[in-house]
Amino acid sequence: MSIAPSRVVAQPPLTRERMVHVVQGEYAVVQETNVVLTTILGSCVATCMWDPVAAVGGMNHFLLPGDDTSSDSVRYGVNAMELLVNGLLSKGAVRTRLQAKLFGGAHVINNLSDIGAKNGEFAIKFLGMEGIPCVAQSLGGDRARRIRFWPTTGRAGQLLLDASTPEVQLAERPKPAPKPAASAAGSIELF
Amino acid sequence: MPAAAAIKVLVVDDQLTMRALIRSALQEIGFRDIADAGDGEEGFKALLQRPAHLVISDFNMPKMDGLGFLRAVRAHDATKKSAFIMLTGRADKELVQRAMQFGVNNYITKPFSPLQLRQKIQEVFGPLT
Repeated sequence: MSIAPSRVVAQPPLTRERMVHVVQGEYAVVQETNVVLTTILGSCVATCMWDPVAAVGGMNHFLLPGDDTSSDSVRYGVNAMELLVNGLLSKGAVRTRLQAKLFGGAHVINNLSDIGAKNGEFAIKFLGMEGIPCVAQSLGGDRARRIRFWPTTGRAGQLLLDASTPEVQLAERPKPAPKPAASAAGSIELF
Repeated sequence: MPAAAAIKVLVVDDQLTMRALIRSALQEIGFRDIADAGDGEEGFKALLQRPAHLVISDFNMPKMDGLGFLRAVRAHDATKKSAFIMLTGRADKELVQRAMQFGVNNYITKPFSPLQLRQKIQEVFGPLT
């Protein structure tokens, strides 16, 4: 009596996705193919940036301080962008190969000035000045967004959320702009 | 008391936006003679062609980073007397210590305001007019 062998189907190796959440004022750069960067955006903007050849990517999540485009505000934004770009370059990305996708900048709270639009405008202007192609963008509107970004391939997805969702309210709370680290590093006294 | 307008400055950073911001901050302080370059290699060539009293340079740059640039500046007779202020992305103690060994005059951590930049420059040149 013969027993029919059970059907064996080749299974791909298990690669469980690992979610890394990027909160306001922070950034992350990764090379691991199983990492998905996530964030929730209201009026904040997230820049998803990657080098498709080096297969390295990252995301920042910023909210320019204040509701204007003063030089203080721009300095903060430039710093947020620079941290992301430098993080990518330090992991093997090449500046001329960088591509970006922009998300966020919504006008989610009616009684406030449209800081979301200013965040979006800043990000577009920055990428334009630095010659980094913005290959896709979803900016503005009045809905919050949940973003997922696969940094090694540049794939990104968004889910529109209701602004009253608690996690959106939490993400929307302005955080103080980072202070120059020099003052925090009081142990370094040079001059 | 040196006049800011009489001090020649070279700004070196690989990000055009950052160069523009630094230039604008320097102009706000009173500097008028400002040149810029996109990396250490380009910056060193520019410095040889047009000597500057003050170099403000980023650390993270392609081709030649800020430390390499600082070493090159200090090793050449034509450039070694330029004051050198290093821009760092964070308070990187090790980087600052290495820069000190190579003769950096001061450092400033980004992001910074024009007032903070002015203070750092005055620590090197004395009060500016």
